Amino acid sequence: MTLISTSTAAFYDRAKNDMATLQKRAESLQQQLSGGDKLERSSDDPVAASRLRVLSRSDTLSNIDTSNADRANADLSLADSALSTFADYVQQAQELANSAATGTLTDDQRASIGYQVQQIYGNLVSLANSRDSNGHSLFGGESAGDAYTLDGSGNATYVGTASAGDLPLGDGQSISRGLTGPDFLNFSVNGTPTNLLAVVKGLADDLQGGSSDPQTAARDGMTALSAGLNAVTTGQTLVGSRLNWIELTGTRRTNLGELRATEENTIGATDLPSTIADLQQTMTVLQASQASFAKLSSLSLFNVLS
Amino acid sequence: MASDLLSIGKSGAMAARTALDVTAQNITNASTDGYVRRSVQLAELSSSGGIGRIGDVSLSGVRVDQVVRNADMFRQSEVRRTGADAARADAEVTGLQNTEDALEQSGAYDAVVAFEASLQQLASDPTDTSLRASVVESARTMTRTMNIASQGLDQVGQGLQFEATDGVNQVNILSGELARVNLRLSRAADASSDQTTLLDQRDHLLEQLSQYVDVTTTFAPDQTVTVQLAGASGPTIVSGGTANTFAMTTATDGTISFTLSGNPVVPVAGSLTGKAQALGKLKEIRGGLDTIAKSVIDTINTAQANGVALDGTTGTAMFSGSSAADMSLVMNDGSMLATAPAGPAADSRDQTNLAAMQSALDTPDPAGATDSLIFNISSAVQGRSVTRDALDSIASAAKVTLSAQAGVSLDNEAANLVRYQQAFSASGRVMQVASDIFNSVLAIK
Repeated sequence: MTLISTSTAAFYDRAKNDMATLQKRAESLQQQLSGGDKLERSSDDPVAASRLRVLSRSDTLSNIDTSNADRANADLSLADSALSTFADYVQQAQELANSAATGTLTDDQRASIGYQVQQIYGNLVSLANSRDSNGHSLFGGESAGDAYTLDGSGNATYVGTASAGDLPLGDGQSISRGLTGPDFLNFSVNGTPTNLLAVVKGLADDLQGGSSDPQTAARDGMTALSAGLNAVTTGQTLVGSRLNWIELTGTRRTNLGELRATEENTIGATDLPSTIADLQQTMTVLQASQASFAKLSSLSLFNVLS
Repeated sequence: MASDLLSIGKSGAMAARTALDVTAQNITNASTDGYVRRSVQLAELSSSGGIGRIGDVSLSGVRVDQVVRNADMFRQSEVRRTGADAARADAEVTGLQNTEDALEQSGAYDAVVAFEASLQQLASDPTDTSLRASVVESARTMTRTMNIASQGLDQVGQGLQFEATDGVNQVNILSGELARVNLRLSRAADASSDQTTLLDQRDHLLEQLSQYVDVTTTFAPDQTVTVQLAGASGPTIVSGGTANTFAMTTATDGTISFTLSGNPVVPVAGSLTGKAQALGKLKEIRGGLDTIAKSVIDTINTAQANGVALDGTTGTAMFSGSSAADMSLVMNDGSMLATAPAGPAADSRDQTNLAAMQSALDTPDPAGATDSLIFNISSAVQGRSVTRDALDSIASAAKVTLSAQAGVSLDNEAANLVRYQQAFSASGRVMQVASDIFNSVLAIK
């Protein structure tokens, strides 16, 4: 007779293996639940893990882009308000030139107007040398110090660099971080290039006796100042459109960030309902197999025979 | 010869005693590793009548023919084969997992990304000393992380080599033991309890040996075994009473190879093969990490040399070394970062060289390369784990099948105990009857 049976050791081995497998599965599910992450290690799902790494890299870089954009935003806003002040001063100078162009004024009165224009000139120069949020020259491009220096006779000369430099905003986008002085102070009058500071300085000098015909000089000055005002407002438009661009890229960055967060959640986070259900199922099976193991292992012929 | 009731009864009682002994032996060894269930094979003891005595009744009882060892050669060899495969896969997966841990948990990827990000942030204001310091610190973190990852890989390699050395020693011990068992087997009497014990030992040793290397076995009529490595055409490690020396050599790149009696041999299964495979993969990963470290060192140092530092002097090297292990930071001052191109005065906010540095770094793409390296090892772990699980369940199924056939079932033994006890009592009764008959003959007066 062939005896078909199992050996005692085989029975225990099998039960041990089965229960250990269930136990391991339950533990892994429990870890997923308590950690909130579906992946314990990269090898659980190499593709998803790699995707998560790429997403977190994008997140890190995107945060840097956001702070860079904030800096650009602050600098451009400072430039914007400085340009408004510029425009105000130019308008004041225009009014003063207008009164100086009136024929009824005496030369002394014109000289006192010239003195006022002189003050405006001083304000304009210090405004052109204003600093940005990092303490660097706001209109000096990439230079470290002031944008304009004054020579012995008070003439302002631009000493900054030719361009303001670009700031990366992420995704290959970049933006010019500001305006240089010449960008909005230089313009042409009747085809002759000049700049606002020189015009105002010239007007002040002319009105204070530098010119034999201050009335004409005041009239010429008015023409030049209105061209200068144009240049300043053009600069202001430019700054406005750049601020707008920063805001646009910011919105885009936020949207992309939300998409990334959604994807990270889909790939990496534990799906609570299904994991809890899985765990419950595993626990039920484990309990059943433990109970049946206890029953079967207590069954021994030795207990029955006496 | 006439039959003798008393001696028939006696032979029956003795056979039942032997069977009870064997049953008791089975019960006590129910959980002994490598023990194969024994059973008693009985044979009738009778003689045919001789010339002229054809009608004679000549019954002489029973004798123990042999103690049968219930081993199935095929199942045993299946256990060895599948066990060797499973051991190989398990050793390889363990080695690869440790490699994965060393690489991933060192945080190399995050450190490279942080360095990249700090460069990006510096672009917002290249003259800001705190941003410059942050670049230097993240570079320091990156070099240390690379060092840690490299050390971690070293330790994994050393651990694997150490275990492999121990495995080689075990193989030599086991094969020596097997040769001794062979010698004793060739001298043991057939079907004796001495032989069955030696056979148990032989099979147990073969099973242990198959955990380290794959074994091909050939059994001689005297039950001695010849063992070959690396398949049926491979070299012989144990033949009769001699065992050949198995040895391991470690190459400078950390990989290991084996020799048998001085000749190269490549085992195809067993944990030693798994460790050799894991070390091969480890070498590949280490090479990848070194390439990444070297690309960062070279790219950044070249870019540094092209630009000028904050004080207007030509940039100096940022890193020294040429691999992940010896990569270190030689620049400790953030102002030495060459963000500006050669030309502008000191304190320039010109960041052309910083941009050039960033775009130069885009080509070797250290973060992407680290990601692919982690992906490489983790997908290897995942793929091998699937194989490991499959081989594991095959091996444990083979083991359980063998154990179901060759192992001891306590229920069966309990039944046998009752059965042989009854046989013993019955034989005793036969002797009682013989005695009664003898007494009744004596009582005749």
